[in-house]
Amino acid sequence: MKIFFIVFSKEIMSFMRSLALVSVVLYAFTVDIYIAGAGMQIKPRNVIIGYVDYSGGGLSKKILSHFHQPAFITPKPFLSRQKLSQAIFNKEVLVGFIFNSDFEKAYRKGQNTNLDVLIDATAASQSLTTLAYLQNIIFNFEKLKIPLKIKSHKLFNQNADNHSFMALTELLSVITLLIVILTAIVFVKEKEDGTWDIMLLMPVNPKMVILAKSTSQVLIVTVGVILSLGFVLFPAFNTPMNGSFWNFILLTLLYGFSSAGIGLFVAAVSKDVMQVAQFSIVIMMPLIFLSGAWTPIYAMNPIFQNLSLFSPLRYYIEGSESIFYRGTSFVDLLPYFGGVTLLGIVLYLYGFTKIGKLF
Amino acid sequence: MADLEIRNVSVKYKKLTAVSDISFVANSGEIIGFIGADGAGKSSLMHAIAGIIRLSGEIQYRGYTYKSPQESEKIKSQISFMPQGIGLVLYGTLSVSEHLDFFADIRDIKKDTKFLEYKKRLLHMSGLTDFTNRLAQNLSGGMMQKLSLICALLHRPKLLILDEPTTGVDPLSRLELWDILDDIRQKEGTIILVSTAYMQEAAKMDRILLFDEGEIIAQGTNKELLESVRNFTYAKMDKPPDDTISFDKKTYSLKSLSIQHKEPNLEALFFVNALKKNKTLPAIKIQERQSQEKIPQIVMRAEGITKRFGSFVANDHINITLKSGEILGLLGANGAGKTTFIKMLLGLYSIDEGKLMLLDKAIKNSNDRINLKSKIGYVSQHFALYNDLSVRENLMYFANMHKIPIDAALNRIKKYSYELGFDEYMDKFPKELPLGVNQRFSIAAALLHEPVVLFLDEPTSGVDTLARAQFWQILHKLKTKWGISILITTHYMSEAEYCDRVVLLKLGKKIVDDSVENLYKLHPNAKSFEDIFLTYFKGER
Repeated sequence: MKIFFIVFSKEIMSFMRSLALVSVVLYAFTVDIYIAGAGMQIKPRNVIIGYVDYSGGGLSKKILSHFHQPAFITPKPFLSRQKLSQAIFNKEVLVGFIFNSDFEKAYRKGQNTNLDVLIDATAASQSLTTLAYLQNIIFNFEKLKIPLKIKSHKLFNQNADNHSFMALTELLSVITLLIVILTAIVFVKEKEDGTWDIMLLMPVNPKMVILAKSTSQVLIVTVGVILSLGFVLFPAFNTPMNGSFWNFILLTLLYGFSSAGIGLFVAAVSKDVMQVAQFSIVIMMPLIFLSGAWTPIYAMNPIFQNLSLFSPLRYYIEGSESIFYRGTSFVDLLPYFGGVTLLGIVLYLYGFTKIGKLF
Repeated sequence: MADLEIRNVSVKYKKLTAVSDISFVANSGEIIGFIGADGAGKSSLMHAIAGIIRLSGEIQYRGYTYKSPQESEKIKSQISFMPQGIGLVLYGTLSVSEHLDFFADIRDIKKDTKFLEYKKRLLHMSGLTDFTNRLAQNLSGGMMQKLSLICALLHRPKLLILDEPTTGVDPLSRLELWDILDDIRQKEGTIILVSTAYMQEAAKMDRILLFDEGEIIAQGTNKELLESVRNFTYAKMDKPPDDTISFDKKTYSLKSLSIQHKEPNLEALFFVNALKKNKTLPAIKIQERQSQEKIPQIVMRAEGITKRFGSFVANDHINITLKSGEILGLLGANGAGKTTFIKMLLGLYSIDEGKLMLLDKAIKNSNDRINLKSKIGYVSQHFALYNDLSVRENLMYFANMHKIPIDAALNRIKKYSYELGFDEYMDKFPKELPLGVNQRFSIAAALLHEPVVLFLDEPTSGVDTLARAQFWQILHKLKTKWGISILITTHYMSEAEYCDRVVLLKLGKKIVDDSVENLYKLHPNAKSFEDIFLTYFKGER
């Protein structure tokens, strides 16, 4: 046990002395997460709209008046259809409306009328949401008599704010990547310097050394997570914490060991720090894509849905979102804890036997 | 005016001055040798002359003056540079003939009959004619260096710069490399600048420049240089006075001593230079060990040990015995299988075939080793130390790993730091220290638990002559005071002199295993160990 603490404190000290590693970890847990959370835009913002009005105003002006700041820049008039198409071609305008000359006439007579829309589908999400906005506005002018009213209640995230969601997802991905890379680097650096051979020859149980080394890295990342919650997620994005904070920390620690297991495996197969970076990306990317971080699990192909069961990150993300947004109690979190622990044990033991080889 | 004139050249890396104010001249057909310790500025000066790094001062080559890499572009077609490191300029997955084509294409050489003839001659000189289809990664170290050299010669350079082309190469290949150089300078009139770590090679050079701390401290022909130290070289004294250095049956002193002179060698230059700078080797004292161990007569017995990496046989049925209180030198070129053998002894590699006995115990699996760990000391290649811990912290960490009680550990660390002379560096980080200090302190780390056998993997490569002399003193003292057995690997054939018995490996096979005296008796005409081993390398061909 004494050996554990000696190795553990030596690793923490080495980490603190490495300016590069400390700054990478601090960056990843603050700036990177802020950028991911604040920078992601799904709603339209500053969208440029152009229009050609052959109808002579009135209804067309009424419709256009709905498009205003901050989502849209005041619509820009164009003299002809050709000029508008040209502008869209040149990326000066994202969405173009064309009001035909009989647009208002037909509407007043109660007949069907047409509004032509040109959209730049290369900026798919922004232009398509603009289109949805337009449809909603048109809907108001249609004066349809349907005996149905929609009343929506948004649960867990009343403002439908996706910033805190994106920031949390980024945090969980950062945790994964950092634990894998840090753990792998700790071992590979010793391999590069040749100290790992000396370590294996010491009259101590190499398993204890491996355990102490990987635990130190898991702890460093856990501290980073707490910093990130305190300095970025809670103050900047108002991420709710509806469940127990300690449940989340416990889940993070357990998840940390399954990632450390992957790190041990990476360290066992790579010769230098360069290879660690390459291997980590190759191994981590499918793990992150299959976790539901970017695409919800139910939207995946059934084959991928089944594969995602083997990604510990899946259980970690679902579990964490339940804790933060849904405020799920510990008993209902057990499946997530179970998934993370089970995969963690398998991965960690595998990495453990890979690295601690002595003949 | 000389063909190549170096005038007041200095090279700086940030704050560090690697080369300061060096001037010399060279004429076509001359071989100029650079000798000196690692970090003395040889490589930096070579890079500067080759027009690769920035410099202050100026270099004039055949009337053309250049001061910067940009200005040197114009004469690059006449220069060729081969950097340090075996096979560094080669591409592992290209064959020998593909290399020649590739380098000819980069240099834009017309492939006319004249060139083809020259290429054939180069291949013949290097003995690679039969291996044109072999991939570079499957060549031996010596062949790789010969291929690198002929690639560098393809465009018939008039200025050839070679940075330690022979380090780690077997003695026969080294001779062949020198033959090529000699031939080229005679037929092509090339100026050749070459650095070397082997003093025996320096004798073949027309002029020798001796580097120390970025300056040239002596220059001249081999004979002139030897003459300059003749008066300071004496036969070894039993109790030498303080301001002298004694090593390898010789004592060096600036003051005249009342004993007879001895024939000096080039290494004497370093000792005399140290004396002139008022540096002497700190006296090495080793006390009796604290714990008493009963050491068996045979410390290690390896029978038919074999290691394969895929189809490559790194160690081929090797039998080696290490007796108690013996220094056994395991010699061989790079890639001969020395490190592989040590790693199998330690259990870092699995043994594919053969039997191994360590301290009277048959080793079959890792469990057999657990109790032995506290009896073995190991210093690995390049001195494995934690670069982010200070010397003191490193030693404390190793002591803790060996579960030595704190006060005993502190005592021993203090004792070793004085005995091995690195006490002033205790709070420095390993990266800031000269290689020689790191070497002594890795030895201290390996001795903390008072082992009965030491395995040392290339502890002297890259270390300067003085530090090497000191290192061997430590080993001899350890042997006499502790009765410890030492297995040491080295690619310096000359270090065989300091061992009790030597084993020579060549391409994974043992070709010599005998005591030092016996080898001299068997080869009465040999002047040095270099010569003795050469006969074995030749005989095996």
